Amino acid sequence: MAQLGFFFDGSRCTGCKTCVVACKDGFDLGVGVAFRRVYECVEGRTEKDGAGICSTTCRVFYLSLGCNHCSRPVCIEVCPTQAMAKDEATGLVAVNTRKCIGCGYCHLACPYNAPQVDKSRGHSVKCEGCPDRLAAGEAPLCVLACPARALGFGTAEAMAARGERAATPPLPPAEETCPNLYIKPSRDGRAAGDGVAIGNVAETR
Amino acid sequence: MIGLDTALGEITLVLFTTLAPAGAMALLLMGLPILSGRASWAEVRRISTYLCLPLIVSMVGLVASATHLGSPANALYVFAAVGSSPLSNEVLCAVIFLMLGGLYWLYSFRRAPSPRLLRLWIGAIDLAALAFIAAVGLAYSARTIISWNLWEVPVAIAANALMGGPLVALASYAVGRCTSLTARRAKGLAALAAGALAASVAVYGLQGVDLGSVGNAVASVTDLVPAYGAAVAAFALLGAGGIVIAWRATRNLPADGTPPEGAIRYQLVGRLCTAAALGLAAIFVMRFCFYLAHLTVGLGV
Repeated sequence: MAQLGFFFDGSRCTGCKTCVVACKDGFDLGVGVAFRRVYECVEGRTEKDGAGICSTTCRVFYLSLGCNHCSRPVCIEVCPTQAMAKDEATGLVAVNTRKCIGCGYCHLACPYNAPQVDKSRGHSVKCEGCPDRLAAGEAPLCVLACPARALGFGTAEAMAARGERAATPPLPPAEETCPNLYIKPSRDGRAAGDGVAIGNVAETR
Repeated sequence: MIGLDTALGEITLVLFTTLAPAGAMALLLMGLPILSGRASWAEVRRISTYLCLPLIVSMVGLVASATHLGSPANALYVFAAVGSSPLSNEVLCAVIFLMLGGLYWLYSFRRAPSPRLLRLWIGAIDLAALAFIAAVGLAYSARTIISWNLWEVPVAIAANALMGGPLVALASYAVGRCTSLTARRAKGLAALAAGALAASVAVYGLQGVDLGSVGNAVASVTDLVPAYGAAVAAFALLGAGGIVIAWRATRNLPADGTPPEGAIRYQLVGRLCTAAALGLAAIFVMRFCFYLAHLTVGLGV
């Protein structure tokens, strides 16, 4: 099996969210459903001193995140119907809609907030790596759409040569689910510690 | 409040985890006179008939849980992951428990059911009820859900069942005019509920300490459940209220279990149903907090 995965270059991402919109457009996703999200990661604080002068230690960086098609996927572990499964040839994780009962346990367990239950369809939905485009030899929509070329897609081996495995805060330690996401962090992302918070919570829920 | 979406979205699971374990424990406790062989034949028939009440409590919970599914038509696939998915294990245990309970109830209406078979069957139902309660407790042990994957979660489910179960059993005895509802047995059941209430409060206290430091980049548990202390206090008050009402309603019952007649009977049924409702309301409060507190390592809330 040649495990496929994503690469994300944090030093290139401008947070424009074209990847999000291209994916939503390509799969005709409604309001509240997204297979990819761009997180605005914030750390530090801004303060005003007695003289009214503001100083800040704030740093903000972006993180574009879809399903990471993990090598140790918790969504598959908890799925009660085996509807969530890994493709043997590509390692991509997909939902078998004929088996899914829409219980939402995959959504509750995923540390990357990737699967969600589409109430109108009655089952879980998520990034499946654009299998039709891959079969035609094309890149996934989000990768193709990124104007800064911050996203990449290919074999995990090739992506690992370009970055570290899910190394940027606020992502969980890679050993939790072994995500096939390789990251070249931005300068601020590299310096970030455990205090990183998400600035656009409402938008990414 | 961010977590409110999860808790309201899973409100049917709040109901399920409130009602089903308490109903299963009530059925177990109510059937003990049959299992022990001490009940008269008439009493065995009466208890068997009214075992449907705790069974209905459990079944309402299970039906409620099914309503949150997006595609219930695919539900049979749940058995494909038995052994690997904790949710599949829970559903399997629920089906076995409810099937055994339902078939027992139907069989008990035979003109001459076998007393030996009834005892054996009740024993099997009791084992299934215990397995079901354990499975409900373990269903939420996903390694990435850091606010749920705690030892306190299954212990709290079991302690809650031991608190709500006796109150539901007392109400069911009273509705069925069972002679097993003696002052002594009622006192024992109220004491069991009181002990379980104390254990639950202790477990929730320890859980609160553990959850105090849990958070991710999106939120912390203290953000998600700001009134956790108040919820535990409400749980204790509602539970204690139910137990006190049950104890006061049953303390003067005759030793031989002769059921009261007329207005006194209706008063007894009313008070014990109120006690059971208060006990279940107490559990509901903490189950709601449980779903409010959902948080994964990483970015999930």
